[in-house]
Amino acid sequence: MKLQEYQAKSILKSAGIPLPASTLATNAVQVKRIAAEIGYPVVLKAQTLESGRGSAGGVRIVHNEREIENISNEIFKVIINRHPVQFILVEKALTFMDEFYLAVISDLENSTPILRISEAGGATFLESSSFEDALVVDRPIDINTGLKDYQIREAITKMGIDPQLWKQFQLIAHKAYEVYRQYDATLVELNSLVLTEQNQVFVLDARISIDSQSLFRQESFADAFDPTYFGWEERQALKYYVDYHIFPGEVGCIVNGMGLAYLTLDQLLSLNTLPAAMIDIRGGATSTSTASSLEMLLLNPRVKVVLINIFGGMTRCDEAANGFLQALNRGLPRKPIFIRLEGTNGDSGLDLLHNNENMSFFGTTEALVNATAGWLRGEEL
Amino acid sequence: MTNLISAQSHIMVQGITGRRGRFHALQMLKTGSQIVGGTSPGKGGEWCFEGRLPVFDTVSDCIKSTNADVSVVFVPPHATADAILEAIEAGIKTIISITGSIPLQDMMVVKSVLKNSDSILVGPNSPGVLLPGIANAGIFPNDIALRGNVGVVSRSGTLCYEVLDTLKQNGIGVSAAIGIGDDQIIGIDFQSCLELFESDPHTDQIVLIGGPGGDSELKAASFIMEHVTKPVIAFVVGENLAPSIVRPFFSRSGSLSLASLGKKTLALKEAGVRIANKLNDIPILLSS
Repeated sequence: MKLQEYQAKSILKSAGIPLPASTLATNAVQVKRIAAEIGYPVVLKAQTLESGRGSAGGVRIVHNEREIENISNEIFKVIINRHPVQFILVEKALTFMDEFYLAVISDLENSTPILRISEAGGATFLESSSFEDALVVDRPIDINTGLKDYQIREAITKMGIDPQLWKQFQLIAHKAYEVYRQYDATLVELNSLVLTEQNQVFVLDARISIDSQSLFRQESFADAFDPTYFGWEERQALKYYVDYHIFPGEVGCIVNGMGLAYLTLDQLLSLNTLPAAMIDIRGGATSTSTASSLEMLLLNPRVKVVLINIFGGMTRCDEAANGFLQALNRGLPRKPIFIRLEGTNGDSGLDLLHNNENMSFFGTTEALVNATAGWLRGEEL
Repeated sequence: MTNLISAQSHIMVQGITGRRGRFHALQMLKTGSQIVGGTSPGKGGEWCFEGRLPVFDTVSDCIKSTNADVSVVFVPPHATADAILEAIEAGIKTIISITGSIPLQDMMVVKSVLKNSDSILVGPNSPGVLLPGIANAGIFPNDIALRGNVGVVSRSGTLCYEVLDTLKQNGIGVSAAIGIGDDQIIGIDFQSCLELFESDPHTDQIVLIGGPGGDSELKAASFIMEHVTKPVIAFVVGENLAPSIVRPFFSRSGSLSLASLGKKTLALKEAGVRIANKLNDIPILLSS
């Protein structure tokens, strides 16, 4: 789960990492007031989780009060990847002599955090060609003993950084790793770190991603999802702990497990049929979450037909079926439901459903998908 | 498969009084697995299933009384790493984590401890290890497979059930099925399982079930090229999903991974693996 820049910076600031002064604004009048407090020049940065902010015109330097409201209003009109800009971070613009990159990243391959430092910072670091040219040092961190001073030294001495600055770099690296651990981050990226004429190191831009699997103990982030990104269905999915994926087709799918999701998807695609949504109820789903999943599909106007494919291991088919019955008793729009229940308590699940006139039953994924695609093409059952 | 579980294994369940642990402990009992007891901190001294299985506070207590050497972990994600670490320290040989979606940094800690131990971790997010007719250490549906000579290894649990069911419908038996789990950081990988099957006298052919995301299938391909002489059949789902139709809009536990666009099947093919394009190809390839 990516955090917005202003959220990342507020975390880094409370951890004691040096950042230029900045404040969040929601309209041009606020931007002007904040800029006056901070002092010109300022950088106005559109807050977005999408990439391409710079090229869309979402980042502008403003030198004086005359232009500030006009430029703010222009930024508030920018649309980045279909998402309108709602917040601007107003930040003191710094002049600097050098840029660096420092990040704590997650190496899933070797199951370890890594400290990555590069002499090339800023946007140039992210362009692959210069990434290959730049000197990049990776140091794996033993998660049980933590980041050590010497590891940071080994990295920054390779960059030829002036020994007078080592203390500042070490402090920032330690704080970045503390943030990584404390917030269950998968990424803490300081790009770039800049060196000012006063020989001070500041963090200009930062990205933090939080491990969504740790939200149960990172409760402050549970509400950090930007509401503009999520509609009713996504919020329901979050609430009932199901995975929700949107596709441009007409079949509303409920499956348990990603493997079965892909199998179902492959077979639909082979018949030139696309889902409208794919809901993975995951292992051991309760009747509450299966009820809610079916409700989401029945209420979704793009869903013409519902396909339910469950092969229960930890998921008990009778419990899933109970949920489907609950949803059907809620007075929702009626749609044909093509269903296959197999595995743990499969027979008792089917017993619960067999009187339902909206439902057709199938024994295999292939038969289920063929019938669904056929129905969409207007074939009789 | 004596390296993971066998008919002699003494299987315990961590989280045996929880909703899921209790249900599946009973299923395992019903299928004749040698299940000996379990843990539930604070409930030590109680019994499950009318006195059939003892409950202990700690794994080491359970081992002392029951000689447990395999543990199936059902505790919720926030306590799973702790449960696995407890099992490692107590000396459990094979730890199978059914629970998935464990915080990444918890798994980093587990993996670093695991490295210096003799324990093997299967999962997290694994359906378990199944020796049809002998032992079901996990959540495999009852009677899903016949006993036979095909070794099955899979990332996805449900897809593994699909394949086992297809094999059974076609009268093909299975020596062992291992679900390695689909979390981002897992214990035992494809390579270790292939190695187990390669040296297992009861396994003649191997079925490998993969999917999008990561590169574990690519690593399996190079391992097969170097070290596996038994015939391997691979079934990789989601291989050709065009990124344009998959808009990973939102998900709680990670998004739909982009397909490898045929790269995985190509690498496997080059390693001499026969590719099943659909479920029903698997029994045909196994019989040919």
